[in-house]
Amino acid sequence: MSEVHFLEPLARRWAKRTALSAEDRAAIYALPVTRKSFGKDAYMVREGQQTTECSLLLRGFAYRQKLLSDGDRQIISIHIPSEFIDLQNGILGTADHNVQSLNHSEIAAVPRSALMELADKRPALRMAMWIDTLVDSSIFREWVVNVGRRDSRTRIAHLLCELALRLERTGQGRDGIFDFPLTQEQLADATGLTAVHTNRTLQSLRRDNLIQLSNGILRVLDWEKLREVGDFDELYLHQQI
Amino acid sequence: MPGRYTGYRRLRDDKRSRPAAPGSNSISTDQPLNLLLRDLLSHSALSEDDRQAVRDLPTRLRKLDPGSYLIREGDVPTHCSVLVSGFAIRLKVTGEGSRQIMAVCIPGDAIDFQNLFLGISDHAIQILTRSVIADIPREQLQKLLVNRPAISAAVIHSTLIEASILREWVVNVGRRDARSRIAHVLCEFAVRLEARGLAPHGGFELPMTQEQLGDATGLTPIHVNRVLRGLQADGLINRQRRNIQFADWRALQETADFTRRYLHLPGEDEILLAAS
Repeated sequence: MSEVHFLEPLARRWAKRTALSAEDRAAIYALPVTRKSFGKDAYMVREGQQTTECSLLLRGFAYRQKLLSDGDRQIISIHIPSEFIDLQNGILGTADHNVQSLNHSEIAAVPRSALMELADKRPALRMAMWIDTLVDSSIFREWVVNVGRRDSRTRIAHLLCELALRLERTGQGRDGIFDFPLTQEQLADATGLTAVHTNRTLQSLRRDNLIQLSNGILRVLDWEKLREVGDFDELYLHQQI
Repeated sequence: MPGRYTGYRRLRDDKRSRPAAPGSNSISTDQPLNLLLRDLLSHSALSEDDRQAVRDLPTRLRKLDPGSYLIREGDVPTHCSVLVSGFAIRLKVTGEGSRQIMAVCIPGDAIDFQNLFLGISDHAIQILTRSVIADIPREQLQKLLVNRPAISAAVIHSTLIEASILREWVVNVGRRDARSRIAHVLCEFAVRLEARGLAPHGGFELPMTQEQLGDATGLTPIHVNRVLRGLQADGLINRQRRNIQFADWRALQETADFTRRYLHLPGEDEILLAAS
């Protein structure tokens, strides 16, 4: 039995975006990557840093964040295995935000030059990379809406829906049960709320039997209702591609 | 109400005295993609051959009125549109009917490159001021991007900067107070206009009503009005109707918690605006 290549989840995810040939897959597996591990909360990328590589998340969660001058933090996106955490650094030279490991995580770091060469030589992979960054943008737009115009209960429910669906669609979690290592403080930083407010909101979602959240496991008990509360329409995830 | 913006209706009714929109002097129907090309060249090197290929893209020009929709959420566009002159916004409406603006498009912006590959538009695009749009047939542009890797990389570069601006907007709306949010939108708008060679001396015509500013910052129009008055009272801006002059650019940037890094502009951090 052949062992599954550690970059297989990426190939599988990209194959959903655009048709990949055997050569495309082989080119992915031939990428010169360095595997690195990070502990909980460790910085993977710092704002202002000159970037020379892009990182694919192999295991664990990561999040992008920015710090305000007064020290407040806003989490801008949350990433799950098989996703790049900083694909834009293939082209943009300076990191415009921080990336932190959420729990214990492992990445495959790809030198920028290797990734750009791949994009040059393999149009299907260039397309897949581009679609990745475009879907990232679409998610950012939805997050602007989420923090800008939704009430706290809707915001939290929306975020839970988004993560549950992304995990499910990449084969990570099923029957409504998902790894969910975010702390309440991190949930608050992702939704522009206070930790106290977030705690109260989670309690209300639990009380209404929509979710259970404990020990890093999210159980979605009533998907349809959670979706409704979260004003969640998955169009922006562009999973149809 | 004195000093209150009256919305785009004013622009529609008052063509006679309306000052020229920034960039209007650079509208050339012969070269509708000049500003787009300028944007691409601001971060990417393109050969003369590539430049000509961009200029030679077939375009159909359309004039659009304020308030009209270029694309609605869920549409499947058949062409890519570039804003030749005028301003537009990206927006979504929540289930409860609240509007959130996620981006302001300025002349030279490709409005929907993302739809080349995403297919379905995940948001609406609405015209803010009288605008000229250049429509490029989708297949023509796709062919160009496949055949010319340098142009493809340049276009991707522009969409990546747009993504960076979106990240900053998540931060702006998520964690800044009302005063910083508004100041931040003003700073960003001015710097983006300037980088595209569209900023008039020391100030600009804000193409948004106070209601729209509220929709871009997650605030109510009343709150926006109060903040604008506060910024003026504190000597940071001078405002006459929609004309905004920066009375104290440094203090405004500080209030806004604004740094230019996320715009990924070429060159050093302080350019012309520092002189004002």
